[in-house]
Amino acid sequence: SKPPLDTLGIPPQDEAYYRGGVIKCRDGSGKFSRDQLNDDFCDCPDGTDEPGTSACPEGKFYCKNAGHTPITIFSSRVNDGICDCCDGSDEYNSNVTCKNTCWEAGKAARDKLKKKITTYKSGVVIRKQEVERAKEAFAKDEVELAKLKGEEKLLQGLVDKLKEQKKLIEKAEEEERLRKEKEEKRIKEEAEKKATVEKEAQDASREVDSKETAPPVQEDESKVGEQHDGHATDHDNHVPESRISVEQHASESQDDSGTVVESPPKESTPTLEKETSSDNPEGLSREELGRLVASRWTGESVNEVSKDDKKGHEDVHEIPEPAEEAPEDELEIPEPAEESYAGYHSEVEDDRHKYDDEEFDHESEDEYADDHDEHVGSYKSDDDQKGGHHSDLAASGHSSWMDKIQQTVQNVLQKFNFFKTPVDLSEASRVRKEYDDASSKLSKIQSKISTLTEKLKHDFGKDKEFYSFYDQCFESKEGKYTYKVCAYKKATQAEGHSSTNLGRWDKFEESYRVMQFSNGDRCWNGPDRSLKVRLRCGLSNELNDVDEPSRCEYVAVLSTPALCIEEKLKELQNKLDAMSSKQPGHDEL
Amino acid sequence: WKKDEFRNCNQTPFCKRARTRAPHSLDAPLSLAAGSLAVSPDGSISAELSHPSRPRPLVLRLSALPPHALRLQIDEDYSTATPPNRRFHVPDVLLPDIEARTLHLPEPKTAGGVSTVALSSDLDVVVKHDPFELTVRRARSGDPVLSFNSHGLFDFEPLRESKPEDETWEEHFRSHTDKRPRGPQSITFDVSFYGADFVYGLPEHGSTSLALRPTRGPGVEESEPYRLFNLDVFEYLHESPFGLYGSIPFMIGHGARASSGFFWLNAAEMQIDVLAQGWDGAATPENGRIDTLWMAEAGVIDAFFFVGSEPKDVVKQYVSVTGTPSMPQQFATAYHQCRWNYRDEADVDGVDAGFDEHDIPYDVLWLDIEHTDGKRYFTWDHSAFPNPEEMQRKIADKGRKMVTIVDPHIKRDSSFHLHQEATEKGYYVKDANGNDYDGWCWPGSSSYPDMLNPEIREWWADKFSYESYKGSTPTLYIWNDMNEPSVFNGPEVTMPRDALHYGDVEHRELHNAYGYYFHMATADGLLKRGEGKDRPFVLSRAFFAGTQRYGAVWTGDNSADWDHLKSSIPMVLTLGLTGLPFSGADVGGFFGNPEPDLLVRWYQVGAFYPFFRGHAHHDTKRREPWLFGERRTAIIREAIHVRYSLLPYFYTLFREASVTGIPVMRPLWLEFPDDKETYNNGEAFMVGPSLLAQGIYEEGQKSVSVYLPGKESWYDLRNGSPYKGSVSHKLQVLEDSIPSFQRGGTIVPRKDRFRRSSTQMVNDPYTLVIALNSSNAAEGELFVDDGKSYDYQQGAFIHRHFVFADNKLTSLNIAPDNLGKKKFTSDCVVERIIILGLRSGAKKAIIEPGNREVEIESGPISLRSGSSLVVPTIRRPNVRIVDDWTIRIA
Repeated sequence: SKPPLDTLGIPPQDEAYYRGGVIKCRDGSGKFSRDQLNDDFCDCPDGTDEPGTSACPEGKFYCKNAGHTPITIFSSRVNDGICDCCDGSDEYNSNVTCKNTCWEAGKAARDKLKKKITTYKSGVVIRKQEVERAKEAFAKDEVELAKLKGEEKLLQGLVDKLKEQKKLIEKAEEEERLRKEKEEKRIKEEAEKKATVEKEAQDASREVDSKETAPPVQEDESKVGEQHDGHATDHDNHVPESRISVEQHASESQDDSGTVVESPPKESTPTLEKETSSDNPEGLSREELGRLVASRWTGESVNEVSKDDKKGHEDVHEIPEPAEEAPEDELEIPEPAEESYAGYHSEVEDDRHKYDDEEFDHESEDEYADDHDEHVGSYKSDDDQKGGHHSDLAASGHSSWMDKIQQTVQNVLQKFNFFKTPVDLSEASRVRKEYDDASSKLSKIQSKISTLTEKLKHDFGKDKEFYSFYDQCFESKEGKYTYKVCAYKKATQAEGHSSTNLGRWDKFEESYRVMQFSNGDRCWNGPDRSLKVRLRCGLSNELNDVDEPSRCEYVAVLSTPALCIEEKLKELQNKLDAMSSKQPGHDEL
Repeated sequence: WKKDEFRNCNQTPFCKRARTRAPHSLDAPLSLAAGSLAVSPDGSISAELSHPSRPRPLVLRLSALPPHALRLQIDEDYSTATPPNRRFHVPDVLLPDIEARTLHLPEPKTAGGVSTVALSSDLDVVVKHDPFELTVRRARSGDPVLSFNSHGLFDFEPLRESKPEDETWEEHFRSHTDKRPRGPQSITFDVSFYGADFVYGLPEHGSTSLALRPTRGPGVEESEPYRLFNLDVFEYLHESPFGLYGSIPFMIGHGARASSGFFWLNAAEMQIDVLAQGWDGAATPENGRIDTLWMAEAGVIDAFFFVGSEPKDVVKQYVSVTGTPSMPQQFATAYHQCRWNYRDEADVDGVDAGFDEHDIPYDVLWLDIEHTDGKRYFTWDHSAFPNPEEMQRKIADKGRKMVTIVDPHIKRDSSFHLHQEATEKGYYVKDANGNDYDGWCWPGSSSYPDMLNPEIREWWADKFSYESYKGSTPTLYIWNDMNEPSVFNGPEVTMPRDALHYGDVEHRELHNAYGYYFHMATADGLLKRGEGKDRPFVLSRAFFAGTQRYGAVWTGDNSADWDHLKSSIPMVLTLGLTGLPFSGADVGGFFGNPEPDLLVRWYQVGAFYPFFRGHAHHDTKRREPWLFGERRTAIIREAIHVRYSLLPYFYTLFREASVTGIPVMRPLWLEFPDDKETYNNGEAFMVGPSLLAQGIYEEGQKSVSVYLPGKESWYDLRNGSPYKGSVSHKLQVLEDSIPSFQRGGTIVPRKDRFRRSSTQMVNDPYTLVIALNSSNAAEGELFVDDGKSYDYQQGAFIHRHFVFADNKLTSLNIAPDNLGKKKFTSDCVVERIIILGLRSGAKKAIIEPGNREVEIESGPISLRSGSSLVVPTIRRPNVRIVDDWTIRIA
């Protein structure tokens, strides 16, 4: 049955607007009389006069949904034969009868909400603890940094002193050497006259040497490249890839001259053999040709075309993405003369691109490797300290070794007699050793300082709630892939031994609800890989639902207590209260 | 585009030979043996063509079909010295009743080596005997319309018994060898179009020009003929005479004085030259005539001369032999959402929900190749689509449909039932050695069912039954891709020409029709599945003459750039002119990422394509309409809304096309044949007789020149402003729409309420938009039926003619009442009538019967927030569309 027209589809807060005899269109385009309200004819283009019908395309219909949550739907849903409001009020004049499902749906929604609230309640507690811990740890880090900087200063002083000593020793040694030389000079001068002829010969050969300086440099560079190829597993596959494409080129340029020959030489091979043999002019078997052509559309490597082929399955994903670019670049260059150049060029670029990645990898491994406690580990190895967090180290250990080293240096400096000639060799070597030890310790401290400074520069959230993410990676297995997300560092997708970079840490977005990783490995024909990790409240850190909705643009969800925010909990509780208070009467059920 | 992978004319021996020949220079020109000319019992005229040097004569048959079509057939004479093979006649393209419709021709009158046959009171055919030449002319004036071999280039290479020892018949292209065991057998001839300023047709080529540009002669730089050879061209060019996915060997000539058409039914590779004036070195080139040269690698001559005289007549004459377009279901004329690939059920859910969240209607969601189990068509990837029926049901609950892809390459996998069956039954195309042809496509090693064989088509059709196609439901329809056929490791990415088909037919002879037969078998499958009650929807990429009877086509793998947007208009218009009205280009462009502005412009143009689908390559970023910010979402929504509001008009146009062949989207000159300004306008187009639109094809364009043809005024669709006809208007380019106008003198039915899909609009009321001409008159039509079944063939439809004259709108029934027993009715009413150009300040209108009074007030032309209320609007007349009524402006 048709509900009263003067309230149909109107939200309670708007009822007052419709009370007058003549009502204005909200967009100012005109006005309408009260009997034109919901008369199923659109008088206001913005839909003001038809909140309860489908007459105005831009209108909105309000359903009360007692027992559940009221919603506003597009007027295109009114009487369209599909039940949109759980109270069925949107289908008052259509061929369907909608059951009122608000109470059940509302109950389910409330249960869901309750569950969510429960999670939030525990989550908020965990978050608080985490935030406390993070603040402490952050403070400790700052203390540690200050301490390290103090130590650096002290050590720098020692190193400077030792360096001075070392210089003095070296000066003394040099003087001694010069004196010795002077003594020998006379003997040398006698020999000089004899050496004149030989010297001329030497000059000549030196000229030859200087001419040859350029080539060895190049050789060195190419060696670096080769070495790189040697240890990067990625490159092993790269080699056959480019070989195929080069062959393809050779044949294409051959074909350019005259592709159709009506009268071929008589000794040409019969067709059948040609079709099955692989040494046809294109240098490709029929299958290779098929894969190659298919790969243009798919953008996949030639081997990847038949993902479904069990044979081809093994070698599919080990082909690194950048290597795929090489054949494509080459294919697009039509001129044979330019081709080789372009091919070379693109390969060089390729390598450099890879090399960069490789460097990044090394660097990252050195810094934090893959492990959560890597950070701790690095301190351990540096300082021969057993056990404990590095901050403990700073508190108990450091002072003692610092004292020790200061003591030792003092001893060395005191003992050393600067005016003794010749220089006491054992003392000189002690100075050198102490200098070496101290400066190596200094550089370690400096490296720690820069690591720590780097860390503390990051945005850990309003309450430093993401502080613990710094040393953590989150993993998720989806099918054959393992996804690893290391906040503030990078995200990867691994399959077996091959790993693809999905992006380097970029920033938080949407007020700490999304972690953005950008500029990952390049994608053939697509954007550089990237990953958006959506954060939601959960009791532990769990990575889920990794997906690739657009080529090379990944998304994932990370549940974490860091998102269990108290204000949000209050919001949810208010929502639940609102939902629970509007139970419909029995007649409505 | 890999130019080297495709043959040009010089690399195609038959083309090179024919093209380098000078007019009237043939060694053995064919002449007609005067004594052989006779009227056959079936009413056609037969004769022999011969030359002393030829082994056998050729047999000629001349017949006439109403209305105004002349058919010329020339083949070998198999009755005397039998050649080793029969030439291929393309079956199942011409309508089956064509012989029965042949007229009985009178006895030819012969004098001085010339015979004349009267075709009708106003047309006759003049046949010159030596050398053979044929001219169709107007009987009274003697003006020629079309002629055959007036430049003496007609050559018909005779089939030979065996290969001479010193010759080779093999051809090589790149790594491929074509054995050509049957030797040279090509056919060449010239055809002249008299009174033509331009020629059109011959899809499919990428072009921004509507008229076919000259390919040879003075002023032509890159000389390459139009190639008709169905090919899967990777990243095709928007401007090139090279062949694309489909071929229709039909050309229309049009000028101020005449319109005519020529159609050559031949499925072998064809190359056609449009010759620039002076190509033949003639001292005084004849004005108003366009010469063309037609070359085919094999086949016979089975050609039709269509005499016009109006351009619409030529199109009608063409469909009178190849068939009228099928009537699509209502949903198929709405918006389609596609992507390679919507990957799984969650993705499908999400996209479907996205449209609802943004209040954007759509009717069909498409699944590309990845939905299958390893590219085995008729199967599902069960990890991504575990519950295909449930998924389709959920979509169908909102009145929407789904489409899955089914391609002709069948994976050679012994555990795949379809492959097993096809192998056992011997249903695959054979290679030159008689083994099942093995080519490479999506699934890897693949074979291709031999669709030329009716038995195999029947078998294929049965695969679409619900029992056979597991996971399919009645709301699932089909997409045929790769049916050129595309073969990744074949010559020119297709099947070798010496492959063998049913009846010992070489692939070279039927190549251009392979996709047509495949499309036919698939459409028949859906028809069977629905027990003949559900109109099939099958989209095909390859096409041939006659494809219009089986479904829609699209222009294949275009690119996301402005040039491709621009070329889509001439491409779609050309398809319409050649009998195929139901076509469109991928909105947004298949390859690459469109700039958001390009995507928006594409939606605005695409909303007027007869087939309106968004599609994208899997490497591209997601581009569902709501992903480009609120403002752009609103503009795209508006563009799609424009289409949905015009659905009643589009459907009426599809009805017209299905009866007459007149396309839905039309070149301006089809409506304004005398207006020379329109002849090569490929930027603007008509939708039906009433609407004109012009795309914006440049980034950041500030102003645009739009030519509005004819004497009557035009009214801006957005605000109702009038514009003068026969004037080029410089208009400011708006962000939210492209220039679009309603022609004075027309009435357009709309539905201005929007729903999730067209299904929910069935009961919604209509808006009539009347645009008055200078005599304050207008007319229009509305066709309505159930939108899905064949009941309309038995009279179950509403067909109204709306006439406005003398301040009175009348709705007249124009449905013939003797069609059949079935009836269709509707409770739909007209809720609003907008009258553009109404000068009287009338406030009331009287409805008869009933003498009911309704108000006229100022209203918006479209129901959008912020629209001003400016156009005289009859408020709530609420007359039913099934009824006769009049509404008089008081």
